[in-house]
Amino acid sequence: MEKIKITLTINDKLREVNVAPNDTLLEVLREKFDLTGSKESCGEGVCGSCTIQMDGKPVRSCLTLALEADGCTIKTVEGLANGDQLSDLQESFINHGAVQCGFCTPGMLISADALLQNNPKPDEKTVRKALAGNICRCTGYAKIVDAVCHAGSPDNQCPDCKTGQ
Amino acid sequence: MRLPRFDYLGPDTLDAALELLATHKEEAKILAGGTDLVVRMKKGLLKPKVLISLKALNELSYIKEDGKEIKIGARTPLADIIASDLIQTQANALAQACEKVGAITLQHYRGTIGGNILQDNRCFHYNQSSFHRSGRQPCHKDGGKICYARDEADRCNSTCQSDGATALMALGAKLTLASKGSARTVNLEDFYTSDGIMPFAMESHELLKEITIPLTGAKSAYHRLAYRSAIDYPVVCAGVLLKPSDTKKEEIDDVRIVVGAMSRSPLFLAQASSSLKGKKLSDIDAFKTAADTAMNSASAFAVHNVGATLAYRCEMVAQMVFRALKEAAQAADR
Repeated sequence: MEKIKITLTINDKLREVNVAPNDTLLEVLREKFDLTGSKESCGEGVCGSCTIQMDGKPVRSCLTLALEADGCTIKTVEGLANGDQLSDLQESFINHGAVQCGFCTPGMLISADALLQNNPKPDEKTVRKALAGNICRCTGYAKIVDAVCHAGSPDNQCPDCKTGQ
Repeated sequence: MRLPRFDYLGPDTLDAALELLATHKEEAKILAGGTDLVVRMKKGLLKPKVLISLKALNELSYIKEDGKEIKIGARTPLADIIASDLIQTQANALAQACEKVGAITLQHYRGTIGGNILQDNRCFHYNQSSFHRSGRQPCHKDGGKICYARDEADRCNSTCQSDGATALMALGAKLTLASKGSARTVNLEDFYTSDGIMPFAMESHELLKEITIPLTGAKSAYHRLAYRSAIDYPVVCAGVLLKPSDTKKEEIDDVRIVVGAMSRSPLFLAQASSSLKGKKLSDIDAFKTAADTAMNSASAFAVHNVGATLAYRCEMVAQMVFRALKEAAQAADR
């Protein structure tokens, strides 16, 4: 099967790669670029652990062909931090204890990051709706939702964390 | 899960896509958002030799109106339909239906309205991994001669669980199917074959190009029941179009009741619909009677193959229809 060259802007870096038609974007990110933050879990678009941002919109990379992403801007969980400096959202996840086993966390962060870009101060209902496609089998949703709400407005009083104090 | 091998073609124009489709016919599948197609390919339910991607065909992504009809391009993302003022005011059932498809941030930007209508029928005996299916005789849809959902059934009983199609049928939508050198328009109601193996009356060289919704000034609503809102298909859903009388205030001129996820296609229920003609917009008892009629009519078609028990789904038909009728009547009363 012939490989086809595609161009992707991954986490602000222009990259070229040869892919087969049946390579998914997730496989290319994990195996060709070693960006193993995005996880494959169900592999059929249900769980959300493979969520990445394509042109700023969260999509399921396990259902996106790599060829369909040709020319697009990709952001993975590795692109959230600035060097060693974690983003506010990531700090908020740590401060709220929003991580248990951690397998869903990259998808949660990417979905939440996409929400916060459009809506910097979301209420709880909006956050729950935005994260509805990301499933956590530790079922620790409450702290994840707190973390996202608070990352958007760190000045708010938050009894659960020390951010902003 | 690895995808099986295939060739990928990315035509730049609609004509080029139709040309490719005419060449490859049933060996080719159209790839729009991929949220249904790629899953089926991963499960080995479908092995197309060629995928024709609509990625470059921005000409198929639009929502517009000409005073008589709303026209929606088949590749329009569901997110655009949900956000459209035109759809919200003139065809609210469709906006409500699209909003309930999958999860807000994930499928909406990839999923398209054309793909939603053309998503394959489902059955929990069929939509399984190839390993699961390898343990027993294939069913009708899998190329065999057995139906696990209904004993002795001579054909496939898979269920159409499309939210969009149910709402669109209530709205009286038409589909435009394009093929190389020609195009035809078909009522959505006439688009189904009543055979679960190939549920759509469409040739392999045809491509769904446009969805047309007549502008009637009627009010519509869509309600559905699903286990988990973000990831599950509906187990029962209902779309309703309610047209108040032009001359007599508070009277109903015409109603269309459509029930989805109960059969091989969404069901337009003529008896339940016509029972509301001439009734008052505030006549709750008439709505209840119509909902019960809808339940009785729809129950005859359903088989136990999409989750909740059959008895529960049948009862819930009345609930979904009643809620949709009430909401549409309230909207019309304003």
